[in-house]
Amino acid sequence: MTSIGAIRYEFPAGTQSVRELAAAGLLESSAETLESLGFAQIRVACEESPYALALRASERLLQESGIDRESIGLLVYGGAPGGLAFAPARALASAASDTVSAARFRYPSTRLQYDLGLERAAVIAVDQLACTTLFGAVRVARALCIAEGIDRALCVSTDMYPPLAGREALFNCTADAACAVLVEREGQRNRIVAARTVTKGYYWDASAMRDEIVASYFPTALHVINETVREAGWSVADVDWVIPHNVSRRSWEILMGLVALPRARLWADNIARDGHTLAGDNFINLRDALDAGAITPGERLLLFSYGYGAHWTALAVEA
Amino acid sequence: MTAPRSILVTGATGLIGRRVVVSLLRRTDAPVVVLVRDPARWDGIARGLGLDATRVTAMRGDVTRPLRWDATAPSQHVGVPSLIVHSAGDIIFSRSLAEARQVNVEGTRNIVELARTFPSARLVHVSSAFAVGRRTGLITERDDAGGAGWVNTYEQSKHEAEMLVRSSGLEYMIARPSTVVCDDARGTVTQVNAVHRALRLYHAGLASMMPGTEDTPVDVIPADWLADAIARLSLTETCAGRTIHLCAGDGALPLGTLLDRTYALWARDTAWRRRGISRPSLSDLPTYELFERSVELVGDARIKRITRSLSHFVPQLAFPKRFDTAGARELLGEDAPPVSAYWDCMLEWLLRSNWSAALPEAA
Repeated sequence: MTSIGAIRYEFPAGTQSVRELAAAGLLESSAETLESLGFAQIRVACEESPYALALRASERLLQESGIDRESIGLLVYGGAPGGLAFAPARALASAASDTVSAARFRYPSTRLQYDLGLERAAVIAVDQLACTTLFGAVRVARALCIAEGIDRALCVSTDMYPPLAGREALFNCTADAACAVLVEREGQRNRIVAARTVTKGYYWDASAMRDEIVASYFPTALHVINETVREAGWSVADVDWVIPHNVSRRSWEILMGLVALPRARLWADNIARDGHTLAGDNFINLRDALDAGAITPGERLLLFSYGYGAHWTALAVEA
Repeated sequence: MTAPRSILVTGATGLIGRRVVVSLLRRTDAPVVVLVRDPARWDGIARGLGLDATRVTAMRGDVTRPLRWDATAPSQHVGVPSLIVHSAGDIIFSRSLAEARQVNVEGTRNIVELARTFPSARLVHVSSAFAVGRRTGLITERDDAGGAGWVNTYEQSKHEAEMLVRSSGLEYMIARPSTVVCDDARGTVTQVNAVHRALRLYHAGLASMMPGTEDTPVDVIPADWLADAIARLSLTETCAGRTIHLCAGDGALPLGTLLDRTYALWARDTAWRRRGISRPSLSDLPTYELFERSVELVGDARIKRITRSLSHFVPQLAFPKRFDTAGARELLGEDAPPVSAYWDCMLEWLLRSNWSAALPEAA
């Protein structure tokens, strides 16, 4: 069974508190409101580029896990596209012009393959999945590991905001990060038991459909979670830990109520500390929960995320 | 049955009251006096209903003010009423308690005082099945409500009015109707209410949560059955001192079934189905209230407005109850039509009418 063999993430050096963000005019809501939703600070890049963080996360994952790089048959990249990936965060806005020139063909995915020395890895990039990008990458990797007999796939996601971009999306405080996940065709720990994704294209114009999206979030999330649990052969009560995406604590409390799981089973330590990354909250949180010893082998984990606009996705993982 | 001398009806311009008048005229030869704020408006309604003008007299009056029987105002041949059907009420769930009490409690008090001036008059008080508020389980027709709190001021004021009638010393009967959702079993809707507004929001994908469980009974009735039942009971003297549930009772539909039917019917429209609008999530009340508070904290104005409009009555679903209708069955010899008989027709009517041009998104 496919499994999550390793996770490594990298944050930029900078942090900004919610109050600092509010003072800089980077929030729609007040600092007090976002604090009441569970946010305290976020990780903010300045000199780092999305690519630099992705490379660092991937390289450290490979070093930590000690695996043979030749055993990696697939690299799935998601996040900042060519043109934007190589610019430091402070220059991202001006680098946008690269996406409409020949520079767009300078792909971070292929460079990553080269820089990491993954000569045997085929390269695929996933895009347009918002905060579910890394889920999409893992899903593709899982499918190809099974379909093509690939032993190992490295999934990497990285994303950042330019300095003056607003940091609030649907009452969530967004942060910069990169995250790498190693998917293995056979593994004993963190086995992927089930995966479900629902995409509702009706909500493609997210800014115009904001109210409809707010309304659709919970019932669709509940549906995806129930379907994932059912596919795993579990009942909801079997879930030992919900490993969340770092959206507001309040929305998680509501969702836990809908799912009928006690809030104590939500591993929410990072919401205040890190904010909500586009790169892959759930996997960052899973790594931290494992490192903290919160999860014991055999426990049943549910990872759920939502990609702004149209994507609801979940994984059932047996630790 | 002794024929009434004459019958005074309040709320005759309303959806139910006007039908009660029609049914009374069909069932008795007694003259009917309607107490209305605007006789000209009533005249228009009466013409629309094709009523015999010689049998119905409009008396100008406002239940929120002290009332006095004016023998000179109605037609001279109309005697002092021996039967009063008090169906006037403020059914807006979002009223403040003071506003709701003005019509529902003080209005009833004024009718009680007026009735006391009539020799041996009987009062039929049209209350609400939901005057029992947050009570759950089987609600019998002996229950006098109260004690568990209320979801909205309408429920509370209806309960207070019942208490007032019970302690009035008058001969009374209390009719407790369920929620009216359509005119008749064909599903026609001529008066939109909170249920229709809520359905529209769910259809538009602008509302997504609902307290309750799959098994929560949803008890609703059509207006024509209700009005006819009120008229028949009003003319039945054995009802004295009784409370009668005019509800679907065992014909109520479980919430889960109702939602399945509703969304399946809406999904027949390919364009609607392609939107992928989900059936609302059912939750316990604390989770629903947390959602409401979250919307208040961070929601846009439109979502706030929508959520507030639902909060005035949707939480009633968190208090599942089944209404015992044994008394109504005994006296009427029939049950209300089961919800399953007309719910789909009503939905189709709402779609055909495009939710009615005048139906606001949230009120």
